[in-house]
Amino acid sequence: MNTPLPRRDVLALATATGAALATLPAFTASAAPQRPTTAETAQGADPRHELWWQAPADDNSLIEQGLPVGNGRLGALASNDPGHELLLLTDATMWTGGLNDTLDADGQFPYGRDDFGSLTLLARLAVDLPDHDLGAVSGYRRALDLERGVVTTSYVRSGVTYRRQIFASRPDDVIVLHFTQSGGGRYTGTVTLAGTHGEDPDVSFGAAFPNGLKYGAAVTARSTAGRVTVDGDHISFSGCKDLTVVVGGGTNYAPDAARNYRDPSLDPRKLARAKVRDAVAHSADTLLRTHVADYRAESGAFGLTLGASTPEQRSLDTWERIRARARDGEPDPELEAAYVHFGRYLMISGSRGSLPMGLQGLWLDGNDPAWMGDYHTDINIQMNYWMADRVGLSGCFEAFTDYCVAQLPSWTDLTRRLFDDPRNRYRNSTGKNAGWTVAISTNPYGGGGWWWHPAGNAWLCNTLWEHYEYTLSRSHLEKIYPLLKGACEFWEARLLTTTLPGTTREVLIADSDWSPEQGPLDAKGITYAQELVHALFGNYLVAAAALKRDGGFAQTVAGLRKRLYLPQVSPTTGWLEEWMSPDNLGETTHRHLSPLVGLFPGDRIRPDGSTPADIVAGATALLTARGMNSFGWANAWRSLCWARLKHADNAYRLIVNNLRPSTGGGNGTAFNLFDIYELGPGDGIFQIDANFGTPAAVTEMLLYSRPGHLELLPALPDAWAASGSLTGAPARGGFVVDLRWTDGRPTEVRIRSVGGRSTTVAYRGASRTVIVEPGASMILKGKDFVR
Amino acid sequence: MRSSSYSVLPARALRTAVVLALAAGAVTVAPAARAASADPAPIAAKPYMGWSSWSMQSSKYPGLNPDGDYSYLTEANVTKQTDALAAKLKKFGYEYVNIDAGWWRDTTWKPEYDRYGRQQADPKRFPSGMKAVADRIHAKGLKAGIYLPAGLEKEAYNDGRTPIWNADGCTTADIVYGDLRTTNGWDSSYKLDFSRPCTQKYIDSQAQLIAGWGYDFLKLDGVGPGSGKSGDQYDNVADVAAWHRAIATSGRPIHLEVSWSLDIGHAADWKKYSNGWRIDTDVECYCNTLVSWENSVDDRWDDAPGWTRHAGPGGWNDLDSLDVGNGAMDGLTKAERQSYATLWAIAKSPLYTGDDLTRLDSYGLSLLTNKEVIALNQGGTPPARPITPSDPQQVWAAKNPDGSYTVALFNLADSPAAVSASWASLGFTGKAAVRDLWNHENLGSFKDKVTEALPAHGSRLFTVTPHGTALAFTGYEAEASGNTLGGNASVADCSACSGGKKVGNLYLGGKLTVNDVVVPKAGTYQVKIAYVSGDARSAAVSVNGGGATHHKFPSTGDWSTVETVSVPLTLKAGSNTITFDSGNGYAPDIDRIDVPKSS
Repeated sequence: MNTPLPRRDVLALATATGAALATLPAFTASAAPQRPTTAETAQGADPRHELWWQAPADDNSLIEQGLPVGNGRLGALASNDPGHELLLLTDATMWTGGLNDTLDADGQFPYGRDDFGSLTLLARLAVDLPDHDLGAVSGYRRALDLERGVVTTSYVRSGVTYRRQIFASRPDDVIVLHFTQSGGGRYTGTVTLAGTHGEDPDVSFGAAFPNGLKYGAAVTARSTAGRVTVDGDHISFSGCKDLTVVVGGGTNYAPDAARNYRDPSLDPRKLARAKVRDAVAHSADTLLRTHVADYRAESGAFGLTLGASTPEQRSLDTWERIRARARDGEPDPELEAAYVHFGRYLMISGSRGSLPMGLQGLWLDGNDPAWMGDYHTDINIQMNYWMADRVGLSGCFEAFTDYCVAQLPSWTDLTRRLFDDPRNRYRNSTGKNAGWTVAISTNPYGGGGWWWHPAGNAWLCNTLWEHYEYTLSRSHLEKIYPLLKGACEFWEARLLTTTLPGTTREVLIADSDWSPEQGPLDAKGITYAQELVHALFGNYLVAAAALKRDGGFAQTVAGLRKRLYLPQVSPTTGWLEEWMSPDNLGETTHRHLSPLVGLFPGDRIRPDGSTPADIVAGATALLTARGMNSFGWANAWRSLCWARLKHADNAYRLIVNNLRPSTGGGNGTAFNLFDIYELGPGDGIFQIDANFGTPAAVTEMLLYSRPGHLELLPALPDAWAASGSLTGAPARGGFVVDLRWTDGRPTEVRIRSVGGRSTTVAYRGASRTVIVEPGASMILKGKDFVR
Repeated sequence: MRSSSYSVLPARALRTAVVLALAAGAVTVAPAARAASADPAPIAAKPYMGWSSWSMQSSKYPGLNPDGDYSYLTEANVTKQTDALAAKLKKFGYEYVNIDAGWWRDTTWKPEYDRYGRQQADPKRFPSGMKAVADRIHAKGLKAGIYLPAGLEKEAYNDGRTPIWNADGCTTADIVYGDLRTTNGWDSSYKLDFSRPCTQKYIDSQAQLIAGWGYDFLKLDGVGPGSGKSGDQYDNVADVAAWHRAIATSGRPIHLEVSWSLDIGHAADWKKYSNGWRIDTDVECYCNTLVSWENSVDDRWDDAPGWTRHAGPGGWNDLDSLDVGNGAMDGLTKAERQSYATLWAIAKSPLYTGDDLTRLDSYGLSLLTNKEVIALNQGGTPPARPITPSDPQQVWAAKNPDGSYTVALFNLADSPAAVSASWASLGFTGKAAVRDLWNHENLGSFKDKVTEALPAHGSRLFTVTPHGTALAFTGYEAEASGNTLGGNASVADCSACSGGKKVGNLYLGGKLTVNDVVVPKAGTYQVKIAYVSGDARSAAVSVNGGGATHHKFPSTGDWSTVETVSVPLTLKAGSNTITFDSGNGYAPDIDRIDVPKSS
């Protein structure tokens, strides 16, 4: 046995580095992981929760073919090539840029990789096995186990079966590659770690960006039988019966505006070396069991089945199945459910204890991700987190909450100093300026990018609010209250009073703004802002009452809300107006559904008779006009809106559209199930939002909820009607629902309270009122919904 | 070689050629009959194996051509490669050392001719003369190859005054057309007029010369129709026939190889008069490496299938040099090198490398010396052709006389992909043993199919030995009256087709739907499609009006030959329709489909 540490001097390192930042999510020293006491069984993975492929990824196509792993902060795309395992590692905080508080000449924010910044790669890790060239192995298979969060590759070389597992452990805060074999084989090769910002290969490295962010990474390896040595800038191993490679790293980012988002005491290289050293001291089996227990705990008790697929469909690998689904046009209910489980996997892997996921989550293939891989506040970050509560991953939502809370001081400061810049076309013409708002893009340093986005504050708040509605968590409410209040203050200062033409009615409208991302730049009273602020004010009133705070301000907000103008239907187009104009001032099939935020994610527009019929008809007409053939997130949003309108066929068709295989950079689902957006002909980029928005739409078709009201199977398509179940699914109002159906009808629904006390439960016009104490549950049967 | 070597160089004053003519005639008066018994094997009984100089001559790889383009070709370098071939590759069957273009030209491409207008060694390149080189090659137990362009080189014309050797009264004026029409792929020669009695004499004189030097192989280059040319002016069939006759009377067995991109419409001529024909343009990239995948190794997967049936003892489809011996110099990945060697082996192409044999890397050596792969190429099995349409993931196969199959998997895509060979597409069902030829391993017994992950541009090469049972098929004629024709599609006569008819005119919206295809059980069936297509054509194939898959059907070589490929189609139990839609393009003519009775 020979298990050298990455460098000879590693033993001299302090065992613990950096002050623990108690509540701050970051790459920090942490307490020893809790180890499970039960044995992990590797067998018996449910094939419905396994994605599998018969070919590895190309080094140059990892974004479409690499398999993602992540521990919520540290992520990687893995090639799974037998002879050349390549991992591109990303840390959620690996951001260039900074506060970016010098506006351009037009009063807007610079948007470059140096000023605003960009998410970038942390490192590249390669494990080379010269004798395991892909052309020389047989029976290649790789799989992603969505129940355990493990990537497994296996193949046969000269009669020996080789197997490797890759997983990203949150408890041990490292990524582990475990190589085993059966049949008397041996591993001989090298492990090479290198930075992607000019750092030379080394078993550990540390460096800093011009913005002062320090980062570092380290790798180590051990074998229970064989020779492992540090050989200059890399690790060499030979004659190893097995091999465990542990890689880790991170930055000294700290989510704290007061400290300029840095922890100066943290040495990332040193910490990375300590973490890989600590981890490799445990057996790979122990590391795996620890990871799986942690992953399962986060994954929780959620379940989703949409019916049975055919044996023919089950026999296909995931990519063949995606292609067959599109080619044959036959529903593949298990594949469609697996897409939801894959979205859950990405959420658990990408959003825990650090920054939230931006446009690509933790998965990059270069240092120049489209739109910086940033946080887009005019749909994309909201869509990323619509799914979390709906699929029982409320814990993963916290990264988004913590981000907003940590950014608020900077957002407030920038708004105070810069929003009323006379060059900013979106400034308040009232002459007043208060609270906070954001730009369309935000970074983790309090900075904005591109244009001001006045209503962005409301949409962020409304998204944070929905998490409260699902969980009724008072601590969450207390965390987000300052965000809500500041946003209300912003709008109190911004709203204009106007008299509606032809009437004497005075209303409040939003000042000059741009309905994302089309039409006039200086429209007053855009539907997007009116709807979002209307919802914001309503949410704030509930929050202030629940926390018994700011009664006077709440009264002011209530007064503002009553006077808010709400959009009407255009007599010209018959559509719900996007601008305060009967005319269509933009693209008919534009990707954004900004004027429909009141339909989804809001619920001011309801097709249940509680909203004027003309508004529902206008919203439906507008949604129809927007079309059925867009791309990723735009399809997902459309699907969610059709689900709200109880139009199962349209909602399902849009999901199927997103499941179409992406080839040659086209829109759709890539080999690795990442959603691809065709930026230009042949130029496809990964945008993770649809990987979350599409699963959100699936659940929204099965269960609609708002506080006090649940609707079962509102948009169940024929493809899933035969039988299915949605279990452990949170519902707004403080409940968790287990729903089963057969032949298109609910057979049993169990409503468990996590804080809610009363709700109606409806199915096709039949309705029951359920009263249940927190912690208790009630079961309804299908016959309860017979009218 | 191709046009660049000739067109870039200016014509030199012709008179210098005469002045410089050496006394080589003295050498050639002794006919070379003495060598006839050296090799009892008939010419080209198997695809030949060896080395050729052109790949290194044509490359801009650092250091190869220090004295200008194509300057690699020297006596010293040929000697060096001869020694390396003898030392490293001879025992695996490599035997020809082939000198390509330029041996009679200096580094400025100025030619040397003897007093009879015949190419003569450039004294700088080959100071010892061409015979000495051949002798040196023979001394190593190897065979010597030499090169000539088609026609009378313009520089050898000498205003028509140069006498023809051993042809009283004949001069160069008596062997060309009066209008001095040019010919060959570069228009670098005057076309020979074989209606004139002197002309065959000129070819005879050239044959006598190289036979006298002891050459065993001649590459005749720039031959048309082909070499990028068509029309009477570039029809060099008569030249090749003349060479065939000249060699027969030279007293020395000489392998005659014709080049390049020969017109498949004249396949019968090439087969009649030569021992091999280059089916494609140069494999070399004329770049900083010897070749590159895109320019133009990968063309061969499209261009070889139409020629497959023309290969056989006596004459082979020549895919050009096999430059897989040194990854850095070749400009290819390991996977590409293996695929390159795989295609050459299964297509029964001659195996001659253009690599620097003194610098073979270990992987290159393993590719060039794999005994199982060489045995496949040299053995009595037929050449393989695609059995699935030529999409990026392809299966090529041949049924061997012993009942086994040669099966090659190719992934021509730019990313790794799984490729499956279904036993049903080979015509049997059940289990089969799979032997991996490149890796010398038995992979075991596989049921219904073998699937392997292939790297980008990668391949696998197997021998598949069936242990199952023959698959039964139900045939459906395309021309059957119950089928539906759309657009221009129409039934046409076809003597090679089953039933004597096919459905053609499947272009620009032309469509054929085969109705009432009945299977007992839902599933994916490997449906055999018999088709005719003089060039590679695409069709969108769909079932029961569902989503279509586009397949590119490889060329069958002409419009009267039927070939078969298999496509996987998902059928439902009972009656199905199968549609071939030309869409906005041109689809092959369809003869019939055969649907397995079980999936």
